[in-house]
Amino acid sequence: MKKPGRYETLQSLIAGADWDRARDEEFDRHARGAFRDQYVRIPSYRAYVAHIGMDPERLEGWSQIPPVPASAFKTHDLSAATAGSEVAIFETSGTSISRPGRIRLGSTALYETSLLKNLKRHLLPDHARLPAIVFGPHREEAPQSSLWYMVDHMVKKEAKSGAWLVRDGVPRWDLADEILSEAASSNQPVLLLGTTLLYMAYFERLASMDRRFALPPGSRVMDTGGAKGLRTEFDRAEVEAAFADRLGIPSSHLVNEYGMAEMGSQFYDDNLVAAVEKRPREAGKRIPPWVRTRVLDPETLREVPDGKPGILVHYDLANLDTPLAIQTEDVGTRVGNRLTIAGRLPAAEARGCSLAFEQFVEAERRAGTKESR
Amino acid sequence: MTSAFYLPLGLEEGLETTVQRFGPAHDALELHLPVVTADDLTRWIEVLREARETNLAPLTTPQIIRSLDKVVGRFLDPGDSPRREAIDSLSRSGRFTIPMIERALDDAFQPLARGGITKWLVSELGSVHALDRPVAGASSAILRRAHGPEWMLQIYAGNVPALPVWPMLSAVLLKAALLAKTSAREPLLAPLLARTIAEVDDKLGACLAVVWWKGGSADLDPTAIREAPAVMVFGGEEALAGVSRHAPRGARVVLHGPKVSLAYVERRALRFAGLRALTARAAQDVSLYDQQGCLSPHAFYVERKGEVSPEKFTEVLASALEEASIHLPRGDVPAEEAARIQLLRAQARFEAAGLAAYAPTTVELMDPPPGKAVLGSVGIHGATKVVESSGSTSWTVILEDRARFEPGPAHRTVRVHAVDGPEDVARALRGGSVRYVEALGLEASGPERARLAALFTGIGIPRIAPIGSMQRPTPLGTHGGMRRLLPFVTWSTVEAAPASRVKPSRKSSSTKRAPGRRTSR
Repeated sequence: MKKPGRYETLQSLIAGADWDRARDEEFDRHARGAFRDQYVRIPSYRAYVAHIGMDPERLEGWSQIPPVPASAFKTHDLSAATAGSEVAIFETSGTSISRPGRIRLGSTALYETSLLKNLKRHLLPDHARLPAIVFGPHREEAPQSSLWYMVDHMVKKEAKSGAWLVRDGVPRWDLADEILSEAASSNQPVLLLGTTLLYMAYFERLASMDRRFALPPGSRVMDTGGAKGLRTEFDRAEVEAAFADRLGIPSSHLVNEYGMAEMGSQFYDDNLVAAVEKRPREAGKRIPPWVRTRVLDPETLREVPDGKPGILVHYDLANLDTPLAIQTEDVGTRVGNRLTIAGRLPAAEARGCSLAFEQFVEAERRAGTKESR
Repeated sequence: MTSAFYLPLGLEEGLETTVQRFGPAHDALELHLPVVTADDLTRWIEVLREARETNLAPLTTPQIIRSLDKVVGRFLDPGDSPRREAIDSLSRSGRFTIPMIERALDDAFQPLARGGITKWLVSELGSVHALDRPVAGASSAILRRAHGPEWMLQIYAGNVPALPVWPMLSAVLLKAALLAKTSAREPLLAPLLARTIAEVDDKLGACLAVVWWKGGSADLDPTAIREAPAVMVFGGEEALAGVSRHAPRGARVVLHGPKVSLAYVERRALRFAGLRALTARAAQDVSLYDQQGCLSPHAFYVERKGEVSPEKFTEVLASALEEASIHLPRGDVPAEEAARIQLLRAQARFEAAGLAAYAPTTVELMDPPPGKAVLGSVGIHGATKVVESSGSTSWTVILEDRARFEPGPAHRTVRVHAVDGPEDVARALRGGSVRYVEALGLEASGPERARLAALFTGIGIPRIAPIGSMQRPTPLGTHGGMRRLLPFVTWSTVEAAPASRVKPSRKSSSTKRAPGRRTSR
C-alpha cells in the first residue's frame, strides 16, 4: 500500500520547486524520510542495507543513504508496490545473458509531476503550446518503456496535438515527410520528441533524397539517447548540424536529455532556457532541485571535488516506490548543479579478444533496438 | 618521435605523415603515422607481391628460420635495442606496467626460441621442408608440398601487448608478403617487430608493411581486403563482420573474435599443502595483461568436498592477487571500466545480502537443470561473498554458490564458483556460450586430469592448459581453436610412379632428389 502522506508531500515539493534556490536542508529531510520509508517497505533493499552494516537510525545525512547498484533491478524486486497493485512496470534494457531490470510503480503521480516540471522548464520556458511529433512509438506499443510513457504524458498534458511516427516497430517515414512538410509551410512551430538515433536515421533518408524542411521559428526538439551509452553515438556537433541543415532548427532549440528507467527524474541541457532568458548557455545538464548527484572516484569511491570526473550516484526524490539512491556505471563531472555525462571512449577501433566481450553484449543489446528504459 | 609504422625502403619516399600524441597527457609519445590512401594501399600491395617473388619465395625455410631465430633472440635479450624499445614505448601508454610488458615479450618469444619455430612448423606441416619441395609424409606413397598465400592481410587488436608476434612470423614462415594494420590502442609493437626483421634480414623486411588507418574507413578497408588471398583478423564482432563482407571469394579468412578463459580445480587438487602455490599460479593467470586477453580466466570453477573449500580457495586466491598486484602491478584503468568494476562489486554485495533474487539469467531459463521444471525455482544463484582490494579496484574475487558463465569487467576481477563436478560447468556453457571460451586452466592430476580433459574438450573448449601457464600457449597448439599456419596452406601432391608403388622404397622417393621449382607457384 502506498503512503499517501509522503507521496503528496513530495509531489507538492517537486511541483513547487524553485529552480533558482537549492534548499539543502529540505532535501536532506525528505531524502532521509523517503529512505526510512523504503528501508521498511522494500525487503531486498532492507537486506542489502543490513548486509553492508548500515543502521538507518544513525544516518547523519542524505549522502550516507546506501545507493543500490542499477544492475540490481535486473536481479531483485526493488519495488515497494505490492505485486499486482502496480499501475506501471518499466523495464531497463536486458541482454542475452541478463534479464531486463524491472521498475514497478504503485503510483505514477510523482514520476509525472517530476517529468512535467522538468520538461516544461527545459522545452517550454516560453509556455508555448505546440503540436508534438514523436519520433518513436505510442506508449501503448511500448508499455515497458519509461521514455515513451514520459513522452506520452508530456503530449497529453502540454501539447496541442500529437503524432507518433513509429508503428508496429517500424518508422513511417512517409508520414514524417508529410507532417514535416505541412509544418514547414505553416506558421505553427512544432515540438519534436524522440531518440537521437531515430532522428539521425531520418536525416540520412532526407539526405539521400536531398530534402529539407525549414520548420517555423520557435520549433524545438527533445532528443535523448545520443549523449551516452550506445556505441553508435553521434558527435554532438554532427547532430546539431543535421538538425540545422535538415529542419532549420538552431542548436539553441535542440535540447538533449539524459535519463534512465531507474529514476523518476531526468537531466536536460538548458540551452533553450538560456535562449529565452537571453543569456549564454552553460555547459552540462541541469540537476533538478529535487535531485542530488554525487560524483565518486572510480577507484576509491570517495567523493571528488567539483569538476573532476567520477562515477555518478543519483539521489532522486521522485523515487518513492523504488530506492531513491542509484549507483550507475555512468561517468561524468559535476559543477554546482550542472552535470556533464562523459561520452564513452571512442570505440571506432576493434578491441579484440577479451574486453570485446562487453561490447559484444552491448551489441546484442543494441540489436534489440527498442529504446527501453 | 616514434615511428608507428613500418614500410620497406622505397615505399616511404614521398609519403605524407602526421604526428599524433599517444598515451597520457603528461607523458605522451609523439607518434609518426603515415596518411594512408586507397591508392597507396593498392600500390603497396603490388610492390609487396613483387618483393615477395624476388626476395622471399626463393628462400628455403631453414634460411628463413635462421633469420627469425635471430629476431626472437633480440626480443629476449635484455640488452638489445628492440626489447628495450618495446618496453620503453609500450609502457609509456600507461596501459601496461613494465614488468607486465617484460612478461608479455617472454611469453610470446620464449616458446619460439631454441628450435621452437622449427617444432611449430613441423607440427603443422609435417616437415620443415614442406614449403620448399615435395616431401614424404606419413605414407611414402605420396609426397606433399605446401604453399602459403602470395600475400596476407592481418588486422591486429590492441588488447594485449604481444599479440602481433606469432601472426607476423607465421606470414613470413609461409613465405607470404604481409600488409598489417595495427590497432590504435597498441600501434607500436608490430612496426617494431617488422623493423627488427628487416634489420636482421632485408629480404624478409622487403615483404612487410605495417601501418594504421582508421577502422571502418569506407574505401581503405575494402581496398585492403578485396584482393587479399588470405586474411587474419583480431577484433570485435563488428570488425569481423566488416571483413567477412568484403573478403573475396576463395580467400582464406581466419577471424579471431572476442573470447575469454576459465579455470577448473578438481577436489583432489584442493589440499592445504599446495594451496599457496596453486593460488599464486592462478593469480598470475588472472593478473597477466590485466585480464585483457582471451587467455585470461574470468571464472574459477572449484569443486566442493575437497580438503580446501571453495570459500577457503577464494580467500587465499584474494591474498595471492594482492601479492601479484605488487610484483606485477596493474596498468591504468579508464574511469568507465573502474565504474563497471565498482558496480559489479555493489551488485555482488547485493546478492550476498542473502535475499532471494528474482530468477536466474535467461541462459539458464532456456536450460534448467534436470528435475527443476519450475523456472522460478531454478536455484537462486548469486554472490555469497565478495573479497576486494581496499581503496582501489586492483582486484576483486566474488564467490558464488553455483556455476554460471558471465565474463566480468576484467582488470583482475574474477568469480569463484563452487561446483559438484564438471557437469555443472558444461551446463553453464550450454546454449552456445562455449564459443566464447578460448582456454580452460585445469588443476587435476593422473587419470582425473585425463578424464576432465576429455570432458572439457568434448564440449568444445579449444585449449586445456595447466593453471599458471594459461598465458603462455605453445605454438604447437591452436589459437581460437585453429592451427596457426594450416588454415592458409594449400597443397600439391606427387603420387608415386607405378613401379615404385610395386616395390616401395623410401630412398627412391627421396626428398633429396626433388628440389622442385624454387619459386613456388
